[in-house]
Amino acid sequence: MAKNKSGKMPHYELLFIVSNKFSEDEVKDVVKDVHKIITDNEGKITYTEEWGKKKLSYPIKGFQFGYYSLAEFDSSGEKVNKINNELRLSTEVLRHLIVAKVSRTAEEIQAEKKQAEKKIIAKAKAETEVVEKKEIEKPKKAIDLKDLDEKLDRILETDDLL
Amino acid sequence: MNNQTQTEKTCYFCENGIKDVDYKDIRTLRQFINTYKKIFPRKKSGVCSKHQRKLANAIKNARIISLLPYIR
Repeated sequence: MAKNKSGKMPHYELLFIVSNKFSEDEVKDVVKDVHKIITDNEGKITYTEEWGKKKLSYPIKGFQFGYYSLAEFDSSGEKVNKINNELRLSTEVLRHLIVAKVSRTAEEIQAEKKQAEKKIIAKAKAETEVVEKKEIEKPKKAIDLKDLDEKLDRILETDDLL
Repeated sequence: MNNQTQTEKTCYFCENGIKDVDYKDIRTLRQFINTYKKIFPRKKSGVCSKHQRKLANAIKNARIISLLPYIR
């Protein structure tokens, strides 16, 4: 099999949308089929992730919603072309995207996740500190703060739906 | 005479130590598109040329997979 300069197999990331006409149980089978396409073409799946049902930014083939699924795998360049072709011909997968990626070990993925969590916690702390300061400075405007919190919650909810 | 106050903009990705721009991270990508979903020029976004190229590619990839819209 082909190897790149560092002696490792090239690493790829595949994100695909499964049509909304399937139920959630049926989608699992479709995802398994897609994983089978990769393994049949001598690809080795290293990481998978399910995003669940999401609203599409624009309708594809009349569908407003789709199930997103992510898979990282090692494979050679020629085989990736085959995988790409098979996915393009499949009727279950609405759209897919294969991107070359720098390969990471499982430990590195975990370390990245931890760092991201730390950043979020630090941000939240900074925000709460700001709110506390405001409360000390302007205790009369406590009612406005409640409204602000509600608004913030609404904004955060809409962000998650994206 | 230049009466406008000039604020120096710094690259968001250089400051946060992000090497590659991820097309899946829509929350950060959304900061760099306007209400018509067009990509901001470097003058407006303040991103360095290296990251602006990566950012543009990331936004285009996100559009292909329908995470971001092409137009509004």
